[in-house]
Amino acid sequence: MVVWSILLYSSWGITILGLLALPFIPMRLKANFAVFIVTANALLTSWLVIPSLGGEALKFVFYAGSFVQEVPVMIDSLSAWFILIINFTSVTGILYGSGYMKPYNDSEAKLSLHWILYILFHLSMVWVCLLQNGFAFLIAWEIMSLTSMLLVIFDHNNSKTIKAGINYMVQMHLSIVFLTIGFVWVYFVTGSFGFEAIQEFFLRQNNIWLFLIFFAGFGFKAGFIPLHSWLPHAHPAAPSHVSGVMSGVIVKMGIYGVIRMISYLHADFELLGEIVITVSVLTGLYGILNAAVHRDFKRMLAYCTIENIGIIGIGLGIGLIGLGTHSTLLYYLGFGGALLHVLNHSLFKSLLFYAAGSVYQQTHTRDMEKLGGLLKRMPQTAVIFLVGALAIGGLPPFNGFISEFVIYSGLVEGMKLESISLIGLLILTFAGLSLIGGLSILTFTKTFGTIFLGSEREHLHHQPKEVSFIMLLPQYIIIAVMLSVAFFPQWYLGIVGKISHDLVSSVSPVATGYESAILEGYSKTMNGISIYSMIFLALIGLVWFIRMYAIKGKTQVFDETWGCGYQAPNSRMQYTGKSFSKPMAKMMNFLLIERKSYPELNRGEIFPKGRKYSSSYLDFFEHYFIDKLNHQILYFINYFKFIQNGRVQSYVMYGIVFILTIFLLTLFNLVK
Amino acid sequence: MLSFILILIAGFFFTGIIIRTKSIASGRRGPGVLQPIKDVIRLFKKGAVYSRTTSFIFQIAPTIYFSSVVMAMMVVPFGQAKGIISFNGDFVFFAYVLALGKFFSIISAMDTGSSFEGMGASREALYSLFAEPAFFILMGSFALLTGHTSFHMMFMALHLGSYISYAIALLATFVLVMIMMVENSRMPIDDPKTHLELTMIHEVMILDNSGFDLGLILTTGYLKFALYGALIVNLFIGMVPYQYAIPLFFGIQFLLAVTIGLIESFMARYRMSHNPQFIFALTSVSLLIFFGVLLVLGKFA
Repeated sequence: MVVWSILLYSSWGITILGLLALPFIPMRLKANFAVFIVTANALLTSWLVIPSLGGEALKFVFYAGSFVQEVPVMIDSLSAWFILIINFTSVTGILYGSGYMKPYNDSEAKLSLHWILYILFHLSMVWVCLLQNGFAFLIAWEIMSLTSMLLVIFDHNNSKTIKAGINYMVQMHLSIVFLTIGFVWVYFVTGSFGFEAIQEFFLRQNNIWLFLIFFAGFGFKAGFIPLHSWLPHAHPAAPSHVSGVMSGVIVKMGIYGVIRMISYLHADFELLGEIVITVSVLTGLYGILNAAVHRDFKRMLAYCTIENIGIIGIGLGIGLIGLGTHSTLLYYLGFGGALLHVLNHSLFKSLLFYAAGSVYQQTHTRDMEKLGGLLKRMPQTAVIFLVGALAIGGLPPFNGFISEFVIYSGLVEGMKLESISLIGLLILTFAGLSLIGGLSILTFTKTFGTIFLGSEREHLHHQPKEVSFIMLLPQYIIIAVMLSVAFFPQWYLGIVGKISHDLVSSVSPVATGYESAILEGYSKTMNGISIYSMIFLALIGLVWFIRMYAIKGKTQVFDETWGCGYQAPNSRMQYTGKSFSKPMAKMMNFLLIERKSYPELNRGEIFPKGRKYSSSYLDFFEHYFIDKLNHQILYFINYFKFIQNGRVQSYVMYGIVFILTIFLLTLFNLVK
Repeated sequence: MLSFILILIAGFFFTGIIIRTKSIASGRRGPGVLQPIKDVIRLFKKGAVYSRTTSFIFQIAPTIYFSSVVMAMMVVPFGQAKGIISFNGDFVFFAYVLALGKFFSIISAMDTGSSFEGMGASREALYSLFAEPAFFILMGSFALLTGHTSFHMMFMALHLGSYISYAIALLATFVLVMIMMVENSRMPIDDPKTHLELTMIHEVMILDNSGFDLGLILTTGYLKFALYGALIVNLFIGMVPYQYAIPLFFGIQFLLAVTIGLIESFMARYRMSHNPQFIFALTSVSLLIFFGVLLVLGKFA
């Protein structure tokens, strides 16, 4: 037997055995057992794919029943990259989850189901990246969507959670509708469901509509606007390790699909690049603007995911423009930046979700306005969140800067293009990306400041304390990997350069001259940046040392915060997160719709009673488009309510009518 | 290396000259040019009072803020002489390193749990965010004009020849001066001499800092002036030999300081609620530069 079959069959064997055994494992070992299975699966599949990272694609075919028949599998460097990211994040996710789910130990059946779903969820994501047949791909895609939906509704007694789950499920099936249309279209033109057929399709006809249909289908998963509206509902509802994995990798499956489709394209790169880049900049700005105003910190992180998908999309758009204009450097910087940002985002976003989950576990609220001063109670979680916040803002010396720098470099290199419209588009993108960067600083200073700094705003019933070691461990592992990206970027850049090279080799007409050696100049720059980051850290250390030396022996007094002479300040007088982002929200009120609710003062109400005021922000697209559309559809469907009237007699009659129709039709040979 | 030293020297006098200009304009004798430096040295020798609410963030933030500006100084070139750090796309590094310093100064203000300091922090975050696109479009236009992507190469290749390019340089100076005002919280945006917490931006953020930390923050402010001044100088010196370039450097820095002093003497601060619009309007000036560059390159064919 060959290596791949040993590895894959043992992975399946372990999974099936694990799924069967899991309900019978005693409660205290259940989580550990699930960790073991996920880790084993991750190791086996990583072992399978790591050789392909070097550029040699592994192809094989296995037989999957009489209906689908032969399913081709291909592991090239692109799938390998994504599978390694999936494996890493899934393992850290389940490690964290094994600690996070401890409080639910009394509901045994629920937990068994949860771990079973998690194992399946992990494996289905891996298989999405492996399969090369449209039909099998859709099955894996569907398993991924369903298991993740069921993972989201862990807390199913809460009606909001169920609603978020259903919303997610409906949108994922809209995504599947688009993908199915795409695959069926290809089938009708070429007669095959295989992925090569898509390439054949594009060779025969330059039809960008097929690409756009796939882009919409995968865009649902990735969260490009206006297809993003499931993210801000599903992520807060899910348990934190699930939201971490969902935000870290499941949205990246959408990106994987888009990149896969790009590799089959043959023409129209420039036009598609312009479309992708425009959608992405708007996605990024929209995501981060919304992230800045929300007070539910997990919803804020979900919007921030949308922003990062925008940044990745900008990279893809640059790469496409590079392909279209035959500028190799642009191509490499665009795709390299996008792929690197996929990795980086999966790292810091899962880190932030885990840290946010620790806060939620200890305080039982997702409302940041009720928190404050947690840094003193949960110092490690606070520092972890701070690292994540700095990295996601793209600030040196962390890994976010590396990928954003590559994308920025792509945009600057794009200034050397000939076409004035492309230059104009790229400079606006440039401005948009810098605005995204600035806004993410506003968002994360607000979030970090409100949750962890100052003093506590409301008295919590349960004194929060630092979370357990098993929850902190995966977060430290993630930070270690993040630092490795930040300080050895040339190594990672080499890998993504290779992947981009493999990708362009499949695009045959333009494959000449796309040598990854072109990136060498940039990996030197990257190496320089990591050294400068170290100099920066050393400089901070030096100044800190001088400061410590200078203040040695000087008086240090601890007293109240300056209160402008006011004698009885309390913690409710602190600046809130809402007021922090309010000036920005007010300027953007055409996009950030604030809904206020309060009872008006009545005429003649001389002594007004106490009253409540609340305000929240609505999602522009959801409020103006999706909800309106839903409303219209419901209105229309209402006319058919008479069919489902609740009378058994009419239901029996429908059956008889149906059978009769079929009978008559076959009788007159109308259907066969 | 040369630029680093020059910026350090210019930073010594910059704020002093502003204060001196303001005092002359208002008919006072005023303190000496070196008074701000003497203030800082006095602060460095003092002990400190910390708020009980604060954590280690509050203590480490001034250090990081200071280091970020020193790091940014290393990136700025001086005419033919490279900065200590120079690579393709280094202006992105410049902007993001400064942003890191800003991040920490903002969260250190939030750390005090004060009812005022968050307000300053919020404004600082908002204003600097709106200044960002202007800076990036400006740099993108230079990259387009010169075909280079590092500060050093871009400034070296900036040839002033036609009338349009003079107009571009003039507009670029305007944008950079305004960004300098925003970043340093000076007059049309922020009034450093106001006495009401509600109307402050930068000053309110550092209300609780004292002793060595306050000294560091003030020093950072001085250096930041000279840092942006050096960027403006670079627009004009290009390939000019050192014996003219160095006096020109100090001349322009001096002129800038005097201009800021005069603006502060004869102008009132903008209304707080109009500041974002004003700053965002800088972006349109930057776009004007971009169109000018397209015109120079003859792309509108």
